[in-house]
Amino acid sequence: MKSEAVDKTIVVDGVNISYRTSGPVNDRLPLVLVHGTAGNIDSHFGFLFPMMAFRQRVIGINLADPGTETIAIEQFVAQVSAVINAEVPDGAVTLLGYSMGAPIAAKTAHTLGTKVANLILVAGYMKTDTHQKLRGHIWLSLYKEGNPLLKNFMSFNAFSPFHMRSRSLEDMLAGTAKMNVTPFLAKQAELNTRIDVLAECEELQARTLVVGLSDDFSCPKHHSKAMFGTIIHASYTEIATGHAVVHERPAELFYHVNRFCNDPECYPVGKVVPAPKP
Amino acid sequence: MIIDKKIVIIGAGFTGLGTAIKLLKAGQDDFVILERRPDVGGVWLDNNYPGIACDVPSHFYSFSFRLKPDWSKIQSPGGEIQEYLRECAEEEGVMPFIRFNTDMVESRWDATAKYWVIKTSHDTYRCKFLLTGAGHLADEFMPDIAGLDTFPGDVFHSARWDHSIDLNGKRIGVVGSGASAIQIVPEMQKIASELVVFQRSAPYMNIRNDHAYTDAEKRTFERNPEVLEHLRAWIFWFGEEQYAQRRMVPKYIEDAKNVAMAHMENQVADPELRKKLTPTYQIGCKRRLSSSSYYPAVASPNVTVEATALARIEGSKVYGTSGNSYEVDALVFATGFEAVRMPFTKRVFNAEGVSLDEHWDTGMQALDAIAVAGYPNLFVIYGPNTGLGSNSAVYVIEAQVDYVISALEYLEQNQLSVFDAKPAAEEQFMDHIHDVAEGTVWLDGGCRSWYVDERSGRLTVIWPDFPHIFREELSKFRPSVYELSA
Repeated sequence: MKSEAVDKTIVVDGVNISYRTSGPVNDRLPLVLVHGTAGNIDSHFGFLFPMMAFRQRVIGINLADPGTETIAIEQFVAQVSAVINAEVPDGAVTLLGYSMGAPIAAKTAHTLGTKVANLILVAGYMKTDTHQKLRGHIWLSLYKEGNPLLKNFMSFNAFSPFHMRSRSLEDMLAGTAKMNVTPFLAKQAELNTRIDVLAECEELQARTLVVGLSDDFSCPKHHSKAMFGTIIHASYTEIATGHAVVHERPAELFYHVNRFCNDPECYPVGKVVPAPKP
Repeated sequence: MIIDKKIVIIGAGFTGLGTAIKLLKAGQDDFVILERRPDVGGVWLDNNYPGIACDVPSHFYSFSFRLKPDWSKIQSPGGEIQEYLRECAEEEGVMPFIRFNTDMVESRWDATAKYWVIKTSHDTYRCKFLLTGAGHLADEFMPDIAGLDTFPGDVFHSARWDHSIDLNGKRIGVVGSGASAIQIVPEMQKIASELVVFQRSAPYMNIRNDHAYTDAEKRTFERNPEVLEHLRAWIFWFGEEQYAQRRMVPKYIEDAKNVAMAHMENQVADPELRKKLTPTYQIGCKRRLSSSSYYPAVASPNVTVEATALARIEGSKVYGTSGNSYEVDALVFATGFEAVRMPFTKRVFNAEGVSLDEHWDTGMQALDAIAVAGYPNLFVIYGPNTGLGSNSAVYVIEAQVDYVISALEYLEQNQLSVFDAKPAAEEQFMDHIHDVAEGTVWLDGGCRSWYVDERSGRLTVIWPDFPHIFREELSKFRPSVYELSA
């Protein structure tokens, strides 16, 4: 069961993209992980990556600042596509995108066609709506004025009230203080205000598991429900957390990802699969 | 007198009662539960020492099909759990099926007649299916200490607490520093004139997040069942997350260790005592404990931590392996249970007269953690590879009960009456278990624990994967891995 992780880089449009591979090659399709806003392999997949790598091959990507003034989603799609093509030249993959990584993954699946046989979209969205535009407006305004409350605002939107209730205000603020707000993050926040992959989702053919989060204030679950309705071969399940499912309940996310990777038929197309009752 | 039953269940703890309730719900009532004690509760009846409580939150340490909105605390006292089990037995109509004060003396498979013959302290039973629900914590373990017979004072095991003995003002020795000891020691510290704790190895310990539920909270659970289910799920998935630490993912190991060490340093000021209380193995290799009162207790002036095992006894003088000696008036052995070689296995024989204990001479093992090749129609519940390092035992027991029910249904639907694990399938299953166990903290954590069978070095008590994988894979009978006959 032991598996050493290997860190690698690839150059895309003149920028170094770092990624990590681990896990045994077996009859499961390699799982490719695309993180969300403000994340990377360690911060968003610190649980999922190593735990899945005990069961199968996993490839995690650290999205990189392409160096342009603003980011086009196509630039991130190029980064993800390059890693997939380099690491899995033959055969198909399961592609997982979390948060901002979800529309990137959806668009990548559309671009790569049958190369992405299975798709997992966690806390994703297809098109930025007014709720998210307002959140983005507040985010960018706080950033431009250098307001320290920006980190608190991020934390407030990331975690569910239930999760916060089990911690003190001091704990929450201490966790918030560790966040790193960079120009690259600001570019991601700006990109989030103008996402639109609806047309691509309408044409997707990949077998897709959509995971909505019941207390998500960043990407409320109606976005996931819409993805479930839009993507032809989609199934849906829900986890009772805020947006930061990767921190609040990483094991329940693992449960769904592992089951889907092992046998997508556990999630019948067009069906809502209820959360397991322990 | 010989009594015929379809199913005989040994033990009226969580396993026996859970099975009985599910059998009744499935319309099966041709069974009996043999219970050696005068009441239900199993481990929660036997263990009633001062301070006993569960270290899993009660809203998850309970049957999924019998939630209890009014648990008194997050982690309830042992007596309340035993009362819960009695309430389950009474309200689900199980009590008439229990034969109390009835000890299973011997069970033998009759290959010709195709039934089990079970001799008890009263009657003899014949049954098609035998189900053992003795569990890992049914029989106490007493170390063989030289000179114990010379000790003039009171001696008992934590699972056989003698409440008739007044320990107030006495010099007390507690042997052990595991899950029972860390609950007993704070209580003994309050009443002992002097207390010495024999600690073979120091445990890792977290703060005990516990409080009494208010009446309002209990009503909230009662009036909003979904709130209770949400809490239950939250507890479960938090426990599942802890598996990453058992899997030795470095970040999780470091985080867990930091939390435990910070707890100790917050509560223990003396550097010498801290040194004694600092474990020398990887966190999770032995059971992680939780207590907010243990460290303050052992830091009290009337307590000495002897950081070695109890070695020998000369009269009222007890010696650690360090050579240090202490005069004590009473000795409490909090030395755990016969989990690796469960004593009931000496009483279960196959058709050739080989006991399960002999059969498992290099360590216990079972196909799907429930069936043993050569021992037809036997379900061993909460036996090999069923212990959890990071979640509730009741969760595993329920999965195994579902396996039993599905097996009985399959056999009935297909007019079959005998199942026997295919030896090759059992070996294949065990190879898988041992593959998964490699690299876990239980094997690579640098400790000596009761999870590992010393005869083989294999992990035989613990389920080495996520608990939810146990339920995914092992809650349904798999006909293809059994020899089946009419």
